[in-house]
Order: sequence, then C-alpha cells, then structure tokens
Amino acid sequence: MKEPFGGLILNVAFRLLVPFTIVYAIYVLCLGEYSPGGGFQAGAVLSVGVLLSRLILGENAKFNVLGKTSVVLAGVGTFIYAFTGWLTLFGGAKFFLDYNYMPIHMEPQHEMHALGIFLIEIGVAICVMMTIINLLDAIVKRGADNGDVE
Amino acid sequence: MQIYIIEAVLLIFLIAITCAVIFCKDILSAAIIYSGFSFTAVLLYLMMGSPDVAFTEAVIGSISTVFFVASLKTIDRWCK
Repeated sequence: MKEPFGGLILNVAFRLLVPFTIVYAIYVLCLGEYSPGGGFQAGAVLSVGVLLSRLILGENAKFNVLGKTSVVLAGVGTFIYAFTGWLTLFGGAKFFLDYNYMPIHMEPQHEMHALGIFLIEIGVAICVMMTIINLLDAIVKRGADNGDVE
Repeated sequence: MQIYIIEAVLLIFLIAITCAVIFCKDILSAAIIYSGFSFTAVLLYLMMGSPDVAFTEAVIGSISTVFFVASLKTIDRWCK
C-alpha cells in the first residue's frame, strides 16, 4: 500500500480497537478448549491488527511484518506443530501426537493432553496469522507491479 | 414454529443478498454487500447450533472484505 487511506477518525479508531482485538485473540487461544474458538480463529483475529495498520498507516507503519519475515514465521509455526508430534514420537508413542507419551509428566493425565493441545494451537495460530499477512502482501505487490489505474 | 419462520427469513435474505452481489455494477459496494452475506451466514450457523463455525465465519468474513477492498486499488471500480 503506497498511499494509505487513513484519516483522523480511522487513526483514532485503529489505536483504540487493536489492543483489545489482540487481547481477545489471546483469550480465544487460551480458552479454546472450553469455549468456541481455537488456533485458527486466534490467528485470524491476531492478523487483523497488522492488516489494519498496513491499510491505514501505510508502508512505514511501526506495527508491521515486512517482506519475507511472514513466510519464515509461517514455517516456524508449522515447525512448532511438528515438533510437538516429534516429542511424543521420541517419547515412545505409537502414532503422531499421542499426548500420553510427552516427556513432561503431570499427575492427572488430561493435564498433559491440555498442554499438548495448547502447544499445537500456538503453532497453528502463528502459521495462520503469517499466511494471511502473506496473502495481503501478494495482492498489494501484484497491484504495484501492474500500476494503479486511477 | 417461530424459529422456522426466522430461519426461512434468513435463508430468503441470503438469496436476496447473493442476487444483489451478482447484479451490482459497483464492485466496492458489491464487496460491502458480501460482508452482509457473511453476517447472515453467521446468524444461520448460530441458529443451527454451531458457535464454532459461526465464529470462524465472522472472522474470515471481515478479513475477506479487507482483501477485496485492498485489491480494488489495482482494478477499475465500475464494471462496464
């Protein structure tokens, strides 16, 4: 986005709303087991802040993820998912993501299940957030190549 | 009985919004009307008893509206 379409009202609304969306995304991520929500929804809500900052404040926004960083961080999210699976596999599990064989031992069995699902959802959230930012990057970059019509 | 009437009204509203999006000449207003389609789908999913799908639809509907508006900078706004 070369020329941002912001104004006084959009700037103030962005500054007031985005911290609450980030807190809400973390709430959805942490309580995804008991209420609707989970990794995918948390990642999508997290990406809204970066999308809005790039649309409203333009290219030189402070709150931004630039260039190839989004692709690298999407890979990091996928790696967190796979690493949780490998932890259980090296602990002696018979199939991928068998949480009973995680190297951390907690007394009730379902605590270990909750920890494993939480780790996986962190990975999914990071991957979804960075993929959505990368999609916006691709759309905007293609527009810059073609040249603006207006 | 009343819940079926509300559901039927929402379904008719979905069809009406889809026709409006198809026959709209202004692409920006088509994108905005499409966010209304997404919101009606959210209400329908809530009535069918799946809040998880409704939440996903709400988030993805708002993000896809942002995508449509961002891609409008590259193409002409009016279709001939």
